[in-house]
Amino acid sequence: MMEVKNLTFSYGKEKQALHGLNFSVEDGEIFGFLGPNGSGKSTTQKILTGILKGYGGTVSLFGKDLSSTHTQDFFEEIGVLFEFPYLYANLSALDNLRYFSSFYPRERLRDVEELLDELELKQDFRKKPVSSYSKGMRQRVSMARALISNPRLLFLDEPTSGLDPSGAVLFRRIIEKERQKGTTVFLTTHNMLDADLLCDRIAFLVKGNIAALDTPKNLKEQHSNHRITVEYLHQGRRGEQTVEPTELKAGIPFAYDELLSIHSQEPTLEDIFIRYTGRRLS
Amino acid sequence: MWNHNKGNRDPARTNHRLTGKSCKTRSIWKSLRSLLQKDFRMMRSGKFFAVALGSLLLYTLFIHFAYVRFMDMEIYQVYLYDPAGTQRNVSPLVHPVASLEEMDRILHKDANSVGIHVTDGKPEVSLYTASKKLDRHRSDYALSLLHPGGKYTPETVGGNNLEQKNRRDITCELLFIEIVAVGFLGIASVLFKEKQMGVMRVHAILPLPKSLFLFSKIFLFLATDLVFAILLVLCNVGLSGTGKILPGLLIQTTILSLVMALTVFGCAMILKDFRQFSLAYLVIALFVTAPVFLSANTSIKMTWIRFHPFYHIYMGLKHAFFGIPVANPLYYLCAAGAVVLLFGIVKTAFCREMEKEG
Repeated sequence: MMEVKNLTFSYGKEKQALHGLNFSVEDGEIFGFLGPNGSGKSTTQKILTGILKGYGGTVSLFGKDLSSTHTQDFFEEIGVLFEFPYLYANLSALDNLRYFSSFYPRERLRDVEELLDELELKQDFRKKPVSSYSKGMRQRVSMARALISNPRLLFLDEPTSGLDPSGAVLFRRIIEKERQKGTTVFLTTHNMLDADLLCDRIAFLVKGNIAALDTPKNLKEQHSNHRITVEYLHQGRRGEQTVEPTELKAGIPFAYDELLSIHSQEPTLEDIFIRYTGRRLS
Repeated sequence: MWNHNKGNRDPARTNHRLTGKSCKTRSIWKSLRSLLQKDFRMMRSGKFFAVALGSLLLYTLFIHFAYVRFMDMEIYQVYLYDPAGTQRNVSPLVHPVASLEEMDRILHKDANSVGIHVTDGKPEVSLYTASKKLDRHRSDYALSLLHPGGKYTPETVGGNNLEQKNRRDITCELLFIEIVAVGFLGIASVLFKEKQMGVMRVHAILPLPKSLFLFSKIFLFLATDLVFAILLVLCNVGLSGTGKILPGLLIQTTILSLVMALTVFGCAMILKDFRQFSLAYLVIALFVTAPVFLSANTSIKMTWIRFHPFYHIYMGLKHAFFGIPVANPLYYLCAAGAVVLLFGIVKTAFCREMEKEG
């Protein structure tokens, strides 16, 4: 689906944003691209979506070199959700979607009303101007715009930003549904929970370099100290002990009356990111 | 064509591929129609048409009830003091006076009139209220009456009466102001509104030729200017007069409209917001209108004005209003070159705008 080799890009002579990125994304995979502000995430996404030209290295999408075969057909195959909900404020959600969908072949379009139902946009608002919408509602319409053409490759930039927790859960469900349909998703985010729950693989981008690339599970395992913390009650007193997993083979290796909890000492993705980069995400 | 790895994909995404040139052409027309509809709605919601209609009404009322009446004033009176009687073939429009005191009294009373004092056969023109540069035409007119058929005799252009001439003059000026200043501002407000919504960036990832986005807007702005020009001329020059001058007028309006629309489009892409534009607007509007109006409508002579592109466009428009064809191919070549160059600049600026974020 996507193959990026030695990707470089500079804004002017002295500001190199990307320093030779190498990664590939498989068909139907959700690939997470994580990094702090200014790390080169947006630049990479702009190159992959055909907005930015003049890059170095090779980018191959759908089996074709992006620089040599960049045509309108390519744009028919992709859907892009920008970080900000760019919509015509004077038009309604329905008019916005009808307008943006008018550039795609009719055969591949999804039904606008069905899509808005799926995104749970309130019926009363659909014919009202977008200027009267909350940020979350705009984000839902933007997501509908990205999905309207049934894209094979979906670029999502901070999809859950501006959404309340139930909205975020809904978006994750929709992204998961897209994966089940066979859509490849390139997810750019600061949100570690999104990355952890959704992504098959993630890449940590720092100062235009990929610092780590693997599945969330592998990354966590690799950086785990493989210790387990046990909380217990013994003779009416609360206690806590950390043990090696091998110590548990023969049972709990200390006296207790009641076990309260058992936690593995697995790091979060953010912990791993900080270990790689020395920086927090936001 | 892009490969389709169907896999477990749903049928809606397959069998949609349209091939062939006719499909592409149909798709372009469909895209253009969508863009035009959307731009029309943007202009309507931005009160663009309402402002144009308001301007049309205001200009028409001004011409009918103010300008034509105001300009319907008597021609300057010319008084001659020629004690030796050296001037023989003077026009009957010249009023002889018996003394310098009498001429002084009359000129004091009617400051627009012109006095000629002939001493030793040489006429000396007296203007009591005048500017040395601006009022040459009054002295030229007076001297032309002193020697009918001589070097000061004005050439008669066209067969319009005074009212017709005045109507054409002022309609031409108002059309120029509308396109250069009022419409220019209206276009900027529509473009900045769209820019601030960020939606231009979405067009970067839509399957349509990027030039089409520019073309649609320029086409609508041009169409609005042409309709405005036709209505303004119909209302103020009259039906019979309009028919004769319309083809030339539409050509000149097209040139002016395209140049201005592309200029404002470039400004909207390069400048950050409408506040920045308002400063640029003052400079552009002043640069375009002030020297052109001064040079074309007054006696002020500016030798450099021939290098001012809008002077030539204004004169083309003026000639069109009086049915005089602009036959210089260099003018049209330069105009076409300017439009192509501006379009190229605007397209580059538009592509840069699409690359931005946030």
